[in-house]
Amino acid sequence: MARITLNGIQHRYPGAPDATLKGIDLVINDGEAHALLGGSGAGKTTLLNVLSGLSEAFAGEICFDSKVVRFGERRNVAQVFQFPVLYEGLDVRGNLEFALKNAGWKRGARHERVADIAAKLEIADLLNRRPKDLTLFQKQLVAIGKALVRPDIALVLLDEPLTAVAPATKWRLRVMLKRIQRSLGMTMIYVTHDQTEALTFADRISVMDAGAIIQTDTAQALYERPLHEHVGYFIGSPGMSFLNTRVQDNQLWLADTLLGSTDAAPGLYKLGFRPEWARIVPLNDDHDIVLTVERTRIEHSDRGVPFGLMNAVCDGERLHTRQQLNEVGSVTLPAQAALKIDIARCSLYRDGWRVDGLLGGLLDGHAVG
Amino acid sequence: MSLRLKQLKLRAGAPSGIDHEFADGELTVVLGRHHSGKSALCRLIAGLDAAPAGSLFIDGIDISGLNARLRPVAMVFQAFVNYPNWTVEQNLASPLRARHRRRGRDTAHHQGRGNGGDAQAVARRVRMVAESLQIDLLLDRYPHELSGGQQQRVAIGRALAQDAAVLVLDEPLVNLDYKLREELEGQLRTLTRQTRQTVIYTSSDPLAAFALGDRVLLLKAGEYVQSGRPVDVYSRPVSLVAADLMSDPGVNLLFGPDHWLAVRPEHLSFKPPSADATAFPATIVERETNGSETFVHCRCQDENWVVRSIGVTDAVAGAAATLYADPANVMRFER
Amino acid sequence: MQANTNKAWLGVLPVVLLVAFSAVIPLMTVVNYSVQDIFDVQTRVFVGFDWYRETLRDPRFVDALLRQILFSSLILVIEIPLGIVLARGLPREGRLLPLLLVLLAVPLLIPWNVVGMIWQIFARPDIGLLGAAVNAAGFDYNFTGVVTDAWVTLIAMDVWHWTSLVTLLTFAGLTAIPGACYQAAMLDDASRWQVFWYVEFPRIRSVLVIAVLLRLMDSLMIYTEPFVLTGGGPGNATTFLSQYLTSMAVGQFDVGPAAAFSVLYFLVILLLCWLFYTSVMGSSKGPDPYDEDGL
Repeated sequence: MARITLNGIQHRYPGAPDATLKGIDLVINDGEAHALLGGSGAGKTTLLNVLSGLSEAFAGEICFDSKVVRFGERRNVAQVFQFPVLYEGLDVRGNLEFALKNAGWKRGARHERVADIAAKLEIADLLNRRPKDLTLFQKQLVAIGKALVRPDIALVLLDEPLTAVAPATKWRLRVMLKRIQRSLGMTMIYVTHDQTEALTFADRISVMDAGAIIQTDTAQALYERPLHEHVGYFIGSPGMSFLNTRVQDNQLWLADTLLGSTDAAPGLYKLGFRPEWARIVPLNDDHDIVLTVERTRIEHSDRGVPFGLMNAVCDGERLHTRQQLNEVGSVTLPAQAALKIDIARCSLYRDGWRVDGLLGGLLDGHAVG
Repeated sequence: MSLRLKQLKLRAGAPSGIDHEFADGELTVVLGRHHSGKSALCRLIAGLDAAPAGSLFIDGIDISGLNARLRPVAMVFQAFVNYPNWTVEQNLASPLRARHRRRGRDTAHHQGRGNGGDAQAVARRVRMVAESLQIDLLLDRYPHELSGGQQQRVAIGRALAQDAAVLVLDEPLVNLDYKLREELEGQLRTLTRQTRQTVIYTSSDPLAAFALGDRVLLLKAGEYVQSGRPVDVYSRPVSLVAADLMSDPGVNLLFGPDHWLAVRPEHLSFKPPSADATAFPATIVERETNGSETFVHCRCQDENWVVRSIGVTDAVAGAAATLYADPANVMRFER
Repeated sequence: MQANTNKAWLGVLPVVLLVAFSAVIPLMTVVNYSVQDIFDVQTRVFVGFDWYRETLRDPRFVDALLRQILFSSLILVIEIPLGIVLARGLPREGRLLPLLLVLLAVPLLIPWNVVGMIWQIFARPDIGLLGAAVNAAGFDYNFTGVVTDAWVTLIAMDVWHWTSLVTLLTFAGLTAIPGACYQAAMLDDASRWQVFWYVEFPRIRSVLVIAVLLRLMDSLMIYTEPFVLTGGGPGNATTFLSQYLTSMAVGQFDVGPAAAFSVLYFLVILLLCWLFYTSVMGSSKGPDPYDEDGL
């Protein structure tokens, strides 16, 4: 296993007007589970190909530990693809030991290693089966086993490995992958457009957009302190809600309503908050932030109390809260209600980027505790 | 119009048929895993396959023997199916134009209305549908010039433009990125509310049932399991299968001598929710978080369990833990 | 409202009629001839399986059959591997590719008798480019006089004519293999041979089966090229089943034996193709790929 360092990686397809990768700097620690998350066209697959040695970067360098690896040079990289790529003519054992055979391993050592990996992936009883006799789930497990079998592998690349698997079994496969990553201390890079997969699998996630990494952080940090509005929108379902606010004399205002205090410089900002940081409650007094609830959406219920999302419009902006749904009462929608925000957890954004600065709620009980 | 299934079998040899009524103007999410018969049901309703047994009624009229082209049913497939050599506008208009041609053939002997009126009506309808799906700026493009989301919008638009009494959507959003899915789900909900069509929407995601469905119909291996309002089916599942289908990840199970106990992942916690909470000793296996929620995977009496909680919870793999659930949330099913 | 009808079956009718007229009825006529001895239009005698017995005992039939099988085996052994090698050598994309594909297709577009003519002149030991060159190089070569030379020329001609078909089919099969499969093999350090045997061969197998079947059927029916090139000689050294049949039916007007011969010929082709097909396409059905353990 190795620590991977990317310095200013740039890539452009021949004839394309824009670079697909615009200077990627990234350090992935030894034994880290890392994810590249982004929509189509974000450049994550290109970055993966540069790492695996399939594509050439026209600028920048890749280091495995302290060794610079150039294009065309061999690197100890294994890859798991979207669809299980197996040697159909060989049984599961043959598939698993294929790379070991090529590396000149003796029969006894090979069998021991294969048995070890197969036990970890719980496929020991499938070793004599042919790929055509396996389910997609089992096939993908074998494909993962194939990638992990060589102990000298420095990096495992996973290219949306759960695409082919039925939704109900994704959970099992991901947990298995995570467990084996941890127990073998593997450095892994997981490429996906699915935030749940990226966030739940990886120790750290790099959110990519238009050929650049916008933010690299833990799932919690990405959720709670997105550096850019795009990250706030992309992470979380639904994404972050934003309100147009202004700062004046260290006070944060939404139109004529005072929201709280801040040490940010005066000017116009967007206030970003997560659905869990705000609640919609019945109108109470004149200082309320008034909004119109348009829809509610149950996500589950607990002892008969429905819980889920409220979708509302406030000052022309659409926003979401996640809460118990019976708080506003069973009125017909759309209905007017009040918004309570936990200001201290929110962030301010200017020109798309997060502004450092402290936010504080009002003392008179407007904020959620 | 309402659609009624009477003793309808989804596959030959099924032990029993399905009796169900899709009420007028309601959206029903048909929920089931792979091979539950969701697609088979869609194809039977659209008339693409002949029913092995049983019949279908639209507003009381038996349509079982009716040719697919003549049924008042529009369908959207999981794959993005559009005519590749037609523009978006031609794609959207194609079913309408085909219908006018057919009607023109049937009534050729009395030249009542000129084609000009028809053409204008088609153009109006196409524009309206395109605007509501936000593809009105793409009308001159060809499908291969569109992104996946746009292509599927065109396919949905083609079905909507027909203004058929029954709209069948077979996992239409499953091949899209989740952000697009979020957006299109919202649009679909609004659109079908406006058109007052009877909509059948298949999915394997219980959240889709909550998000879209007036009702939900659960299928398992081609058999009827349960139907009703999503929240009712969620709260009062008739069987273990029903409980599991309305849960993602699936329900946590314990096997008793003559019964099963099932608890949904979101109803488990590490702190007792009430004084009389039921306790389950377990071992933590793995923890996953997406920032807003944490999923803790455990082993409980040799079964794989998942605890789902809001926020970020710490959990150490290998540690022992006690899981709690309110007795009201522990479901018991007799074997 | 209009109900479902079975009218669509009418659409199949033209095909049924066409097949009946083009295949079934002529075949039945031949079967009818093969069990009769016909002296003239009025005088026919039912002879049962006599003609079949006679044909099977005819040493010239047996020789032609053996020659036929040898010929087909040889050209398959050469054309299939050669076609695969050529297909693997083709670039997968690029501006050169369409040109190469057209060049490859050229021999396929030439009529059979023209191919025979081309090679007859090409291989002539006195003035032919090939024949003269080989002789000049010091080899004694004369395809009209020496049996081995005749066979070598005939096989070279068939290989030249038909290898492109195998190449094009294989190429189509190869281009359908996802890039990920090659990438995975590369990361596994697979050798070129391993890439072919484990990655490519399993995925082009069904295309190859088609190629072999086409070449097998076609070579079993070969007539025009050897007829033009060698005329079946020297002696009967290159007389294959179809040539012998023609000489029997047209040359000697033995309708009964020729009919029995035809039926046997047909059965031989059918049998060989069937044997090949069933031995290669072992029935294999995997489990339901979405099968999940669960509730």
